[in-house]
Amino acid sequence: MTAPNPAATSPAASSPAGSIYDLGYRHYEGKRNGRAYAMWSLFVEGLRNVWGFGRPMTAKAAPFILAGLYALPAVFQLAFSSVIAQRVATTGQAANLLDYHSYFEDFYYLVTFFIVAQAPELVCRDQRYQVLPLYFTRSMGRIEYALSRLGSLATALFVLLLVPYVALFVGDVLMKPDTFAAIGDELPKALPSIPAAALIAVCLAALSLAISSFSPRRAYSAIGIVAYVLLMEAIPAAIYSIGQSGGWAWSDKLFLLTPITSLIGALSWLFGQPLDPEFVSGSLTAGAYLAASIASAGVFIAVLMYRYRRMPA
Amino acid sequence: MALTETSSLTKDYGTVKALDRLDLQVEPGIIGLVGANGAGKSTLIKILLGLIPPSSGRASVLGLDVVADTHEIRKVVGYMPEHDCLPPDVVATDFVTHMARISGLPRTAARERTAEVLRHVGLYEERYRQIGGYSTGMKQRVKLAQALVHDPKVLLLDEPTNGLDPVGRDEMLDLIKRTGTDFGITVVVASHLLGEIEQVCTYLLAIDAGHLLRSAPISHFTQRTPVLAVEVEEGADRLVVALVARGARAKQDGARVLIALESDALYDAVRDVVADLALPLVRIQQERGRLEDLFRDAAPASGIVQ
Repeated sequence: MTAPNPAATSPAASSPAGSIYDLGYRHYEGKRNGRAYAMWSLFVEGLRNVWGFGRPMTAKAAPFILAGLYALPAVFQLAFSSVIAQRVATTGQAANLLDYHSYFEDFYYLVTFFIVAQAPELVCRDQRYQVLPLYFTRSMGRIEYALSRLGSLATALFVLLLVPYVALFVGDVLMKPDTFAAIGDELPKALPSIPAAALIAVCLAALSLAISSFSPRRAYSAIGIVAYVLLMEAIPAAIYSIGQSGGWAWSDKLFLLTPITSLIGALSWLFGQPLDPEFVSGSLTAGAYLAASIASAGVFIAVLMYRYRRMPA
Repeated sequence: MALTETSSLTKDYGTVKALDRLDLQVEPGIIGLVGANGAGKSTLIKILLGLIPPSSGRASVLGLDVVADTHEIRKVVGYMPEHDCLPPDVVATDFVTHMARISGLPRTAARERTAEVLRHVGLYEERYRQIGGYSTGMKQRVKLAQALVHDPKVLLLDEPTNGLDPVGRDEMLDLIKRTGTDFGITVVVASHLLGEIEQVCTYLLAIDAGHLLRSAPISHFTQRTPVLAVEVEEGADRLVVALVARGARAKQDGARVLIALESDALYDAVRDVVADLALPLVRIQQERGRLEDLFRDAAPASGIVQ
């Protein structure tokens, strides 16, 4: 290393007035918003992030394909609603249509793929590329960070889940000859979709983010989510089937630990439908599943916050 | 107001004491925080930012306590970490704008400040490219830009020249110096390279193994007789003899000869002697009394490199 650099002043700095093009550094005197605004900004960034906006096309592929596939059956039914309506009118047979209460039950695996792909996207990148210290030295606490991320994923999921419900609703209304009467008929059936979508969104967002936050590597986080969902579905089912022959009366209580089955049970409660024996076995009520779902969301949110509280920065 | 004050600041990592009863009082300026790797520089910076809590003792930044007033401190500081902190698949402008908004700047102001700050750090058209395609030098500039974008009063830079080539390093140091002197922003530069601190800082803090080694304005270290260093490929010993014979104070330092530059006539003497002895001259260079000389006595094994 040599003696001090004699050329250590720039032209703009050395001439007192600067050049007419260079206004020089100006201090910022304007408004500074607080922590709520910082959280909102992070929430918006996260929401864009989940859908791949502001990032390359490849980042948009997974979320849009999965969301598209999830909505596809409902959109198809909407597109062919007039054909279906004609057939019903001519043959007098009731068509076997997709239903609000069973839609998630039929296509839940696409939603699971979505969280497996996008939850790690949202939180692992910040850990992997060590962006977190930049947040935590700004008006952004650790809990605020965790809640913003949760909000982003839950909102993205809510939209994804709601789109097919809306498509079903529009399709069902268009099938009826009297549109206004049809809206009145369909609306009470369709409205539970909103709390249903919200419940699924919060539960799955909390679960997937809590697991993702433990690894900076997206692949490990994705495997973690898949492993958790599969194991927690399979183990209670296995113990229950053993327990039935062994006469263990308590064994069906384990179904309360299942992530997806519990949600399906909870939806039955929200839509006021009986539990589908194809999916849900045992003597538990739909209300119990609803309680289990809400409790699991609470537990995972707590885990997520605990994790960020302890995260070294 | 003092930039920072600490009293018996201690940070324990289990068995390792990163900071050991550190007492500091530093006024604003461009402060060099120097120490070997692991001396506790980053730990001190992280405590001042409120990223990690001190184990015991107190610390304050601009009169704000690091534990009680963390949120107030964060409004007035900018932090450039030592490690990479940039996502590769994001456009630089978008990233810096996002960070400005997290600091509380409204949307339009965040955009304007981003453009201004990126121009200031010397990124022009490249700022619309993804960060993953940047060179190390450009990444360091983006890191500096995100620390500056919300116009902080204090800038904490942890090893800002890490991984840069000599040209990139000089540019970064120039940038830091301008930020400190022209904008009136107090800058704390942590580095294990004394030469850098010497180039840009007005005040020096040296820590070693969690203890304060030195704390003084940089002029204290450098106000000495200027020294002329003459490097020759061979015959340094003969050069010393000939110069001493002409009445100069000279001593040999490896392949170099250090001469106390008492008058300008000495340049002529050096020229004449080198020509007379027909020595293979490599360079003639003026040096200030250098920090490393002072550290050589104070911390013989501290691992500070020039």
